[in-house]
Amino acid sequence: MWKRKESESMKFESNRLILGLFVEAIALCLIVSFRFINIAATATLLIFNLLFLSLTIHLNGTLNRKLVTLALGNITGLLWNFVLQYFDIAGVTFFGAPFNFFYAVSYPFLNFMWVVSFWSVSLAVLPKPKSKQSEMKP
Amino acid sequence: MIIEALEIIFLFSTALMIAYLARHYVFTLTVLRRTKNPIGKIAVDTKYAPTVSILIPARDEETVIGRLLQRMTELTYPHDKLQVITIDDASSDRTGQIAEEFSKHHPFIEVLHRDKKTGGKGKASAMNAGLKRATGEIVLCFDADYYPQIDIVEKLVKEFVDPAVGAVQGRPVVLNEAQNVVTRLVTLERIGGYRVDQEARDNLGLIPQFGGTVGGFRRSLLEKLGGFDESMLTEDTDLTFQVYLAGFKVCYVGDAECYEEAVDNWKAYWRQRHRWAQGHMQVCFKHALGVLRSKKLNAKEKIDGLLLLNVYFMPVLTLIAFFAGVSLILYQSSQLVNALWFIVPVSFYSLVGNFAPFFEIGIGAYLDGRTRIQWLIPLLLFAYLYNILICTKAFLDLLAAKILRKSWSDWAKTRHLGNGNSYIGN
Repeated sequence: MWKRKESESMKFESNRLILGLFVEAIALCLIVSFRFINIAATATLLIFNLLFLSLTIHLNGTLNRKLVTLALGNITGLLWNFVLQYFDIAGVTFFGAPFNFFYAVSYPFLNFMWVVSFWSVSLAVLPKPKSKQSEMKP
Repeated sequence: MIIEALEIIFLFSTALMIAYLARHYVFTLTVLRRTKNPIGKIAVDTKYAPTVSILIPARDEETVIGRLLQRMTELTYPHDKLQVITIDDASSDRTGQIAEEFSKHHPFIEVLHRDKKTGGKGKASAMNAGLKRATGEIVLCFDADYYPQIDIVEKLVKEFVDPAVGAVQGRPVVLNEAQNVVTRLVTLERIGGYRVDQEARDNLGLIPQFGGTVGGFRRSLLEKLGGFDESMLTEDTDLTFQVYLAGFKVCYVGDAECYEEAVDNWKAYWRQRHRWAQGHMQVCFKHALGVLRSKKLNAKEKIDGLLLLNVYFMPVLTLIAFFAGVSLILYQSSQLVNALWFIVPVSFYSLVGNFAPFFEIGIGAYLDGRTRIQWLIPLLLFAYLYNILICTKAFLDLLAAKILRKSWSDWAKTRHLGNGNSYIGN
């Protein structure tokens, strides 16, 4: 009985630790994007976090799984934006200042690309809901 | 001066995009909450079984009409209360003969033949011809390429117990989804449009839309409204607003599923969507003021009604916002334009397909238990870019027709090849 209680308490503690780590990772991504990339990258990360938290909270799956997915999303977004930043630097080096205009126009589209892609993949990671059986199975 | 004008255009377009995004976000959240904590509708009288007339307009539908009429014979609704009217609308193939064959063996199936003089004038005209012969209290409509559940009539008509309900709408589900990328993308659009959008509008007491098929009306109301407006390209949307302006409502029945054959190539997609876009714009001009002034609609119905009426103008506005934004960045952009510039791509990704945002479509697919098809959501961007072209062309056609005072009701029929037949019975 005592051993069971101890293992339950350890599991609870480790869950909280994992939770804390992932929350920290997400916060770190936001800070890094703001400090080292630009505010648009941070805004996109915030939109992604808001959508993910407010919508997936209602879906099946444990909180840990959702949080891991969310943290992975933030890391993906951060990396994607770093790549875009270096793409801009490389573009300006090779093509000169006019590249900045091209980059300014296309950046929001490229920036949002990872959100849609990650969103569509991340929902597939969560357990399926118990949906009613359709008569036809396309 | 030009810069200021561009800024106003950009900011106005962006404000509208944000309004649409917020609306769809609320829809998604509503459906999620209701799925988690379902609030049962008021119990309906299951003994309620009015007489029902089913209208099936069919023009050159020999590949699909047989399977639908066969399904009509399998419906569980009492056949003595059913009247199925197949409107053979000046077909040049065997549609009429196939319908006659069914009529011989099943007395509740009737065939109305229209020759080349009287027929071929569009779906609304065919429906009106059928309506004249209809005797049921309730009139349901099915397109010839649809394949309903056997208990669909019970599911749809039970809502008419409520005297405030003037029309009902069921849920179309794509039958030939696995055929190719186009049919898969149309499936995603349908999921967003019906599993989330229509469901949420019904739950929130807004304006669920009658989609022209898999639904129906009280015959008395339909006759009072003058039947289907033949000058409208989307007579279904027109009727939706007529029903609301007459003080009735449309009820969405999500579990009344009907399987449809989706368009399977980009050319057919263009023709179909171009007609929808033109028709919607036509309806917008007809009803926008009426919706604003109506005393029978409450504030939220008015807001939703106006957003619904203007939905096909949004891709055009997105394009205008894009060019305005690019010009502003090129010449002289303010901080505000820079800050809001990122909303344009959000809109590009959000207003895809049936004008449901990516997150709405994703949640709809998830709730349907469709985890694989979600992976195709990013591809909807191309469908939306295509829709921008379609809606812009429809808008320019409308303008040209207005300037030249020409009739622009060029009714384009979607051709069905019977590709869905192989999926039935699997």
